[in-house]
Amino acid sequence: MTTDVGTRRRRAAAITATARRRRLIWRDLGHFGVFAAPGMLVYLCFVLAPIVVSFGYSLTSYNPFNPPTTFVGGRNYALLLRDEEFLTALRVTVILTVILVVVPNVAGLAVAVLLDRKGWFYNAWRATFFVPVVLSSVVVSVVWTRLLADDGVVNQVLGWAGVPKVGWLSDPDLALYSLAAIMAWQMLGFCVVVYLAGLQAVPHELQEAASIDGAGPVARFRRVTWPLLAPALTINTVVLLITAFKAYDHIQVITNGGPGSGSTATIAFVILHTGFTANRQGYASAMAVVMLVIIATASAITLRLLQRREVRL
Amino acid sequence: MRALITTVVGAIFAVPLYVVLANTFKHGPDIAPDPVGLPVPPMLDNIAAVLSRPDRLFWASLGNSLMVTGLSVAVLTVLSAMLGHYLARTDSRWGRIATLVLLSGLMIPPQVILLPVVQVLRLFDLMTTVQGLLLFNVGYYVPFGVFVFAGFVRTIPIEMEQAAAIDGAGRLSAFWRVVFPLLRPASASAIIFFGVWIWNDFLNPLIILGPGQGTTITTGIYRAVGQYQVDFGTVFGLMFLATLPVVVFYLALQKQFVKGLTSGATKG
Repeated sequence: MTTDVGTRRRRAAAITATARRRRLIWRDLGHFGVFAAPGMLVYLCFVLAPIVVSFGYSLTSYNPFNPPTTFVGGRNYALLLRDEEFLTALRVTVILTVILVVVPNVAGLAVAVLLDRKGWFYNAWRATFFVPVVLSSVVVSVVWTRLLADDGVVNQVLGWAGVPKVGWLSDPDLALYSLAAIMAWQMLGFCVVVYLAGLQAVPHELQEAASIDGAGPVARFRRVTWPLLAPALTINTVVLLITAFKAYDHIQVITNGGPGSGSTATIAFVILHTGFTANRQGYASAMAVVMLVIIATASAITLRLLQRREVRL
Repeated sequence: MRALITTVVGAIFAVPLYVVLANTFKHGPDIAPDPVGLPVPPMLDNIAAVLSRPDRLFWASLGNSLMVTGLSVAVLTVLSAMLGHYLARTDSRWGRIATLVLLSGLMIPPQVILLPVVQVLRLFDLMTTVQGLLLFNVGYYVPFGVFVFAGFVRTIPIEMEQAAAIDGAGRLSAFWRVVFPLLRPASASAIIFFGVWIWNDFLNPLIILGPGQGTTITTGIYRAVGQYQVDFGTVFGLMFLATLPVVVFYLALQKQFVKGLTSGATKG
């Protein structure tokens, strides 16, 4: 009798538990549907699906103006390894990315330390440094093209000092570095503002404590300030990487990939020209897939490294 | 000493900005021979010329840019706040997978996916429409929004939301009335990032809107540079006018921007 009641009760409890779990799952699903599904769905359609489609195309000879499309397996990828244009683009992308991640980070920190004072004077300079960040890349490109042209302002000023003309944008060995410098100039203010915010969040007590313990300015910066700037470094590096990988506008307006054969053409630039201008979409998709693998690796490594640094604090 | 160094570094840095300003107010034909000279006397001819062009290039592009940017930023901010909040609060396996999938899209450049995106847009019959550009913007920028919001949500105590739930508020209304206002600093930085990026986007409108559907401000400048190779007066006037809204926008929001970045980042 008692056992019977016990079993029944236990069974009833088990049933309500499953029901409750089921209800929970439904509620979670509803929660997901309202809060997460809309964003995920658009992301799925316009980022994930295109990546899958890209991978599919990369295995074919797809060219909308040159049918038929045939399955070619890994041939596009094999071709890439021997494609001089692609290998140059790979080198250009790496150089541009390294410069664009390092220079604004370092120079931005220096300027931020310089501007880390109160008052309208420093606030006004902070705003000035930030202006290029909000400028359209087309505006920046047009202005810098005027400044760095062979008969441009920079060469004129150098001419007064007796320096011969420099082909900032016309010399194939130099154009990439000029381009990187222009983009670094544009992003500098972003790093300044983020580092300034980080610097101003460093508690004064910590600085004072360190200086009472006999730490000089350099030691204080290295041991107290710099570790506390880790989140600022994360934001800057992530945004600079995004900027470097999607570098396109400046290249199109300033050099159009030249001078010479692709001396400033990044992978992103070559992909678009192969895909939209030459219409070799299968081949362009193979480039895109390689680029995606590189980016995924780079972002996984950076996010992990930077976040580990933050956690350790 | 610090003030002197600041002034020298800042002045060198600001030369290109000065060039834009000076040439905007200079007589058009004087720009090419003397791009760094002061505009004496300053004149508004370039700006007036751009504003009163018979093809209304500026006004049409401005309308397009305002619409695309405004709508994209509004939708993006709401969607990524909800998604970022959800992902930061959930501890299910699917939530973690979704976070990972989103963050891996954080650094993908649009060029790499633009070819198939065009196919997807054609499939939905959205090519060369503002709606198509809007949807692409939302999908493309949502990972960054999640990155900002999820980081920020982790800094606010969960008790506040739980209190609202006990008071009998539904999840959605609890989010709107309690959580979303708390996220204001993160919203400010997200809005500035989205606003500046989308306003200045060049390639996406160039390809998705195409030449037929009008231009945005940025593609408008690019087309003007191509069309009026010699008429630098128009180009600089257009560049000045295109830049003005976004600079004003930043100056108005800069305090919140800095606050959102620091509070989200220093503790995230």
